Amino acid sequence: MQRRDLITLATAAALAASLATPAQAQGKDKVVLMLNWYTYSEHAPFYLGKEKGYFDAEGIDLDIQEGRGSAVTVQAVAAGSATFGYVDVPTMIKAAAKGAPVKAVGVALQTSAMSVMGFSDKNIKTPKDIVGKTVAITPGDSMVQIWPLFLKKTGLQETQFKTVAGDAQTKLNAVINGQADLLLGYVMDQNIKLQDAAHKPVTTIRFADHGVNLISSGIVANKDTLAAKADMVKRFMRAATKSLEEAEKNPEAAVAATLKAQPKSGQPDTMLTGVKLTTELYHTADTKSLRPFRVSMKNVNESLDLLVQYGGMDPATRGKAEDWVTLDYLP
Amino acid sequence: MNARRLITSPALRPFWLVVVLIVLWDVFIRVFKVPPYLIPNPLSVAKQLVAEWPMLWRETLPTLYATLGGFALSALVGVPIAMWIAYSRLVESFVYPLLVFSQSIPKVAIAPLFVVWFGFGLVPKVIAAFLLGFFPVVVATVQGFKSVEGDVIDLARSMGANPFKIFLKFRLPHALPAIFSGLKVSVTLAVVGAVVGEFVGSNSGLGYVLQKANGTFDLPLMFAALVILSMIGVLLFLVLELIERWLMPWHASQRHDLAATA
Repeated sequence: MQRRDLITLATAAALAASLATPAQAQGKDKVVLMLNWYTYSEHAPFYLGKEKGYFDAEGIDLDIQEGRGSAVTVQAVAAGSATFGYVDVPTMIKAAAKGAPVKAVGVALQTSAMSVMGFSDKNIKTPKDIVGKTVAITPGDSMVQIWPLFLKKTGLQETQFKTVAGDAQTKLNAVINGQADLLLGYVMDQNIKLQDAAHKPVTTIRFADHGVNLISSGIVANKDTLAAKADMVKRFMRAATKSLEEAEKNPEAAVAATLKAQPKSGQPDTMLTGVKLTTELYHTADTKSLRPFRVSMKNVNESLDLLVQYGGMDPATRGKAEDWVTLDYLP
Repeated sequence: MNARRLITSPALRPFWLVVVLIVLWDVFIRVFKVPPYLIPNPLSVAKQLVAEWPMLWRETLPTLYATLGGFALSALVGVPIAMWIAYSRLVESFVYPLLVFSQSIPKVAIAPLFVVWFGFGLVPKVIAAFLLGFFPVVVATVQGFKSVEGDVIDLARSMGANPFKIFLKFRLPHALPAIFSGLKVSVTLAVVGAVVGEFVGSNSGLGYVLQKANGTFDLPLMFAALVILSMIGVLLFLVLELIERWLMPWHASQRHDLAATA
């Protein structure tokens, strides 16, 4: 009798133990972060955070998906096919103004990453040097919509230079093959790709250096997600903030993690340059002492003004900065 | 009575189908509460079509030229090559598999190379349209020439016809139906090719309008451009149908229509 009781007790205990462990492993939220483009240096912090287990520690099973442009990623988040998007926040604002139910929960690049760049041997160092040259653009992308503002701030006219239009690959090809002297791109993206392809140095003229104060990339989410899964969003942003901070301190590790996950996304030395160029943009003077993502609403308001004046945003839909960006989910 | 015959006439039937489709589109959006940034409703598309008509018409022309140029190349290059393949077993065994192989290469991937080689003008778009429209013409034409009955040719030869006369009076008319079916497929693909070429590198054209509209979330404009592109395909298809009818009044497919309108 006693032995039988012991055996029953042992079996029950074993069963209970076996049931408990799988339940703990199943506790994580499956989250999809869709990037604004194919992987390049700007995305390194997320790969670093994933590898270091920051997202796992917050109970998040993160899947990083590459995107095909901020506009498409914003639409994916609006439609619910991606939980979060890492996109150009002004692009998201324009979509939200047209009714897309999306909101930014943090702005990573608080200084604009937009620039016009070309090979250094063309000696185009200041905006005045753009006169008489050929600039490659992509119709409809975020940079070409702010380009008129840059031209105004630097006193250039559209008639003073030639423009050729093409998709992202064509822009790169055009500059590499000499069909264009310059292209519009992000300081840590095409810059690196041009250097990797032609092994020649590239000079970038940053929009931010010429009075174009526009916020750039950030994390956006569907408003339904914010309402229904507020805790998950907070955990995600905690892990994401840690990831960006770690990338600032340890860019080499960020590069290694990215190349491990996406071996074809770049070369180690130039990607390191790209990551350093990226982390430079994480703060403005106002937010020097704050953690990443915590943008100043003054900055957002300035960006809204620029969007209305030059970005084609309907003034009636401008609203307040708080309508588009919320800091409530940040640690 | 006259009005009733007008409404049910065969010529107007596609028009009624379009009206029905537009109504269904509107109902679908209302029933499923589809938001405007995913699918615009027909009225806003129509409004954009009217409001932006001057710009849309201006941008339609480059796409139209690229389509026609690519299609003309498909026909002028495709038909002779297909005839060559049909006549020679040797050529067929070497060239045909290569053609099929090249067809599977996605044109979107190699289109940037054309811009590198040929610049940003009309040429890369014409080539993209040509590459997409070329294959249907070749396949259909080969089929057409190969399906000429041996007996007919023997009869012609027995009556003393020279090879040129045989070609003109027997082989070509026999192959025309197949050639035209290939051309009709090809022209609709040529439109796609022209737009792909514009996506990759262009300052003008409906592909350019599509890119700009998509980037600024102006979905009504995007759909308006898509409507125009479809109309170009439909109109070119109709033109080919008319040419076909004119060239082949004897064909079985034309006889059927004549009986119905009699």
